[in-house]
Amino acid sequence: MAAAAAGSLRRAGWGLWRGRAVVRWQLSPPQRPLQASAVLRRVSDEHKKEPLASSSQQQFDSHPADHQPGQEPQGPDPSYTGQGSQESEDYESEEQLQHRILTAALEFVPEHGWTAEAIAEGAKALGLSAAAAGMFQSDGSQLILHFLSQCNTKLSELLEQEQKLVQQGEAEKKPIDQFLRDAVEARLRMVIPYLERWPQALSILLMPHNIPSSLSLLSSMIDDILHYAGDQSTDINWYTRRAVLTGIYNTTELVMMQDSSPDFEDTWRFLENRIADAMKMGDTANQVQSTGEAIVQGLMGAAVTIKNLTGLNQRR
Amino acid sequence: MTSRGAPRRVGGMMAALRGGLGRCRPLRGAAGPGGRWPAPTGGAALRPCSSGAAPGRLGKAVIDRIIRVDHAGEFGANRIYAGQMAVLGRSSAGPVIQQMWNQEKDHLKKFNELMVAYRVRPTILLPFWNVAGFVLGAGSALLGKKGAMACTVAVEESISDHYNSQIRTLVEGDPEKYKELLQIIKQFRDDEREHHDIGLEHDAEAAPAYSVLKTAIQLGCKAAIFLSERI
Repeated sequence: MAAAAAGSLRRAGWGLWRGRAVVRWQLSPPQRPLQASAVLRRVSDEHKKEPLASSSQQQFDSHPADHQPGQEPQGPDPSYTGQGSQESEDYESEEQLQHRILTAALEFVPEHGWTAEAIAEGAKALGLSAAAAGMFQSDGSQLILHFLSQCNTKLSELLEQEQKLVQQGEAEKKPIDQFLRDAVEARLRMVIPYLERWPQALSILLMPHNIPSSLSLLSSMIDDILHYAGDQSTDINWYTRRAVLTGIYNTTELVMMQDSSPDFEDTWRFLENRIADAMKMGDTANQVQSTGEAIVQGLMGAAVTIKNLTGLNQRR
Repeated sequence: MTSRGAPRRVGGMMAALRGGLGRCRPLRGAAGPGGRWPAPTGGAALRPCSSGAAPGRLGKAVIDRIIRVDHAGEFGANRIYAGQMAVLGRSSAGPVIQQMWNQEKDHLKKFNELMVAYRVRPTILLPFWNVAGFVLGAGSALLGKKGAMACTVAVEESISDHYNSQIRTLVEGDPEKYKELLQIIKQFRDDEREHHDIGLEHDAEAAPAYSVLKTAIQLGCKAAIFLSERI
């Protein structure tokens, strides 16, 4: 009984440890030594736990009176009992748990900012201990990245629904500039509830260890918008379009943070103007190219004429 | 009093125990043409498998590379034939080169479609391959008809070896899931092999400095393949 209680306490401790290792693995892919050590720690954890589980099982088998149907340790806390048999309903992975905590923490961001306090409040709101915030990094960057990834998912669901409506003929296909405008506006509006704390978020995202993740989330969002806008370029235009849209998105975001007009009208007007500029730029590039081609053809014609006139073009 | 958080932690650990070492879940969401691939970072519920851990499961990164490098290859081949036609277009080899060029144009069109369907990023070196391919084609054609054929033989041999290794990767990975892609690559591999044989038929081996030319071009192709896969 005492051994089982000690075993359960040890397991709780290892869970925290492994939680941190898992978090590091998820969010710092460039840091290979950490990743490798996290992998090794998980491997050794899992190896350590299997003999522990089997030895505790042996203890249970020798005490049929204490035996629980799910082979869980019968600790002093009655809420432990019967958990093994309900494993498929009660079990959630660590990522799911972290996901839930971070989602709950978003409510407390306007009050506490993007900090570990907000995460602790979120954990408490779910009925967990505030110490669960120790699973996450102390600078709140995981909270911000979680929020960004949630926004991106919402945006792509929105765009996909719109696309379905158009395909089913229930909606008109929007012209490209309006499509881009609506998509960027929809995505930026998701930030509005947290706008006071957003400058803090942006500055945290600019920290070197966050840059790979934040860049990757930004680029996948822009790629989504352009994909649903119908971009089918397979040459250097792929890059220029994404670069231009990224610039538009970032500048509009910055403008939004300074905007005090009703319902951010100034921001949306700024966005409209930038997109119109981008469209004009595309047209201008085409015009330059066709003008260039016309000039080259003119020069070739002139060269052939001169060759004819001077008799250099004789066929032997 | 232990908080209610603890039972869940135990549950999580027990499940991890059961999951064992290779705790690899298949990617969520539809993969393949038009499918939505989730972002690897920040999404808490997503953990893509590395291709080493779960055999028989090709990650998106592998398919991306395959399509990106093939697209770059067909683009380059297009430009090589364009360069050759610019010099030899009115010679006796013109029709042969034109016919091979038309097939490469079809290949490129197909890869453009695949690239959009699989949402693959094109290589940023495309403008460079544009110029380099044309220069290679025109340069080899300036060595004469046999020089052009030698260039064709070298390039097509490189490409068909490369397609063969991709076919191997796909077959070892997941032949059922990527059946269409496998079919296309096999077809193109056969076409390139045919071009290679046409080149040999037209006296490629009699070209000036044939072995030096061939080695140099194949080295260039290997470098191009390496770079296009990654950049």
